[in-house]
Amino acid sequence: MIELQNVTKVYPTSPRPALDDVSMEIDKGEFVFLIGSSGSGKSTFLRLLLKEDNPTSGTIKVNDKTLNTMSKWQVPKLRRTMGCVFQDFRLLRNRTVAENVAFALEVINKPQRTIRRVVPEVLEMVGLEGKAERLPNELSGGEQQRVAIARAFVNRPLVLLADEPTGNLDPETSQGIMLLLERINRTGTTVVMATHDYHIVDSMRRRVIELNDGQVSRDQSRGVYGVGR
Amino acid sequence: MRVNFVLSEVATGLRRNLTMTVAMILTTGISLALMGTGLVIANMISDMRAIYYDKVQVSIYLSDDVTEEQREAIATQLDDSPDVANYIYESKAEAYQRFTEQFSQQPALVENTDPNALPESFRVELVNPERYPVIAQEFPNGENGVDEVRDEGDFLDRLFSLLNGARNATIAVAVVQALAALLLISNTIQLAAFNRRNETNIMRLVGASRWYTQLPFILEAALAGLLGGLLATVGLVLTKVLFIDRTLAGPIKAGIIPPVDWGVIATISPVITGAGMGLAAIAAYVTLRLYVRL
Repeated sequence: MIELQNVTKVYPTSPRPALDDVSMEIDKGEFVFLIGSSGSGKSTFLRLLLKEDNPTSGTIKVNDKTLNTMSKWQVPKLRRTMGCVFQDFRLLRNRTVAENVAFALEVINKPQRTIRRVVPEVLEMVGLEGKAERLPNELSGGEQQRVAIARAFVNRPLVLLADEPTGNLDPETSQGIMLLLERINRTGTTVVMATHDYHIVDSMRRRVIELNDGQVSRDQSRGVYGVGR
Repeated sequence: MRVNFVLSEVATGLRRNLTMTVAMILTTGISLALMGTGLVIANMISDMRAIYYDKVQVSIYLSDDVTEEQREAIATQLDDSPDVANYIYESKAEAYQRFTEQFSQQPALVENTDPNALPESFRVELVNPERYPVIAQEFPNGENGVDEVRDEGDFLDRLFSLLNGARNATIAVAVVQALAALLLISNTIQLAAFNRRNETNIMRLVGASRWYTQLPFILEAALAGLLGGLLATVGLVLTKVLFIDRTLAGPIKAGIIPPVDWGVIATISPVITGAGMGLAAIAAYVTLRLYVRL
C-alpha cells in the first residue's frame, strides 16, 4: 500500500536531511505507529505521502502509484484515497458538525443525495449522532477529534494518516479515539499514526516504526514505545 | 461543479473584505471609466475627421473688391484644375448664415458681427490634400480678387493633434489607474486567500481539484471587475447626459463637434466591462499561482 525506497528529503534551510535514506513497506490494512522525538522526520514523512512536498531522492509509492512522477493535476485524485487527522482538529468553526463532514464531500463534487445519506452514517459510526447541528466550539476536544475523523473517513479512504491525533486529549478520551481508529482499521483501511503517547503504543501492540534523525532506527511488529521506559 | 457552493464562497469572501472590495470596485470603475472616455474621444476624433477632412481642405477667400469676372475666372480655373476634386462657392450671405448657426449659443457675438464682415469664398476639396502648395501657387494672395488661400488641413492637423493628445493623456491615466486596480485586486485576493486558509487547506487535503479551490477567488475578482465596469458605464452615461449633451450642445448643433450617440456608449460599455472582468480574473489567477499555495 505504501512503499518507500531510499527516500531522502533535504530542506534548503537545513544542512541535515529531514529524512535520510528511508526504505519501508506498509501493507494494506496494517496499523502502524510512527514514533520518534520531535524533529525526527515524522511530519516530513506524512507530508511526502500526501505529496505536499517531493522527496529530494528516492521513490514513494502509494496504492501502486509512484508519487514522484505524478503530475500536479493528479494530486487531488491521490488525496481522495487518503484521509488526514491532525492534533489541532482543523475544523471549520463557522460550520456545524454535519456541515464540516459534508464539506469534504461537497468539494470533491459528490452528489447531494449521497452526502445526505453518508454524513449521518459516519457521524453515528464515530458516536456523534445527535450532535450533527452543533458547532465545533460547543464540543469537547475528544468530540471535535471525532468530527475530524468522520471527515477524514467519510470518503472511505484506503489510507488514514493521523498526526498525533491524541496530542491534545486526556488519556481517557485518547483511549476512545484509539478505539475508533482501530475500528476504522478493521474496515480494511491502512492507518499510519504518528504519536508521542507511549501508553497508547504500549497498550495496542501494533507495528512500530521509530525514526531517529531522519533514519529508521527500529521497525518492529507488535512493538512497544521504548525499551526501559 | 456545485454552483451554490462556489457562489456562497464568493459572497462570503466579498463580505468579509468589504472595505477592500469597495476599494477594488472603485479603482477598477475609475480606471474603466477613463478608458471608456478615451475611447469616446477616439471615436469623436474619427467622426470629426470624416466631417472635416472630406468637406474642406483649402479655402480661397476673396477680397471685398472682387469683380464678377475675377470670380468667374477663379471658378473656371478650379473647374479645369486636375487637382481639384470638388468645390463649392459660399457668398457673404451664406457665410453669415453659417456663422449665425455655429454661434447660435452666443447671440452677443452674432449681434455684434456685421453680415458684410465675413468674406465670400471657394471651398475646395482636393484629389490629394497634400497638393495644397500647388493650389496656393495658382492663386497668389492679393491678386486677381483673391485675398487669401488657406490650408484648412493645417489648422485641422493642429486641432486633431490637440484632440489626440487629450485622448492619449486620458488613456495614459487610465492605464496607470488600471495598474493600481490590478495591484489592489492582487492584494485583496491574497488577503482573501489568507482569511480562508482553513477552508482551502482542508479542501486541498480532501482532494478538491485546483479549480474548485481557486474558482471562488477568481470569480470574486471577476465580480469586482463587473461591478467596476457597471460603475464606469454609469459614469459614461452621466458624462454624455450632463456634459456632452448639455455643455457641448451648441457646437454639436452647429456641426463643429460630432454628437456622441447612445450607440457609441452601448458599444464601448460592454468592451470596458468585459476588459475589466477579464483583467481582474487574470490578475487573481496569476496571484493565486504566484503567491498563494492552494
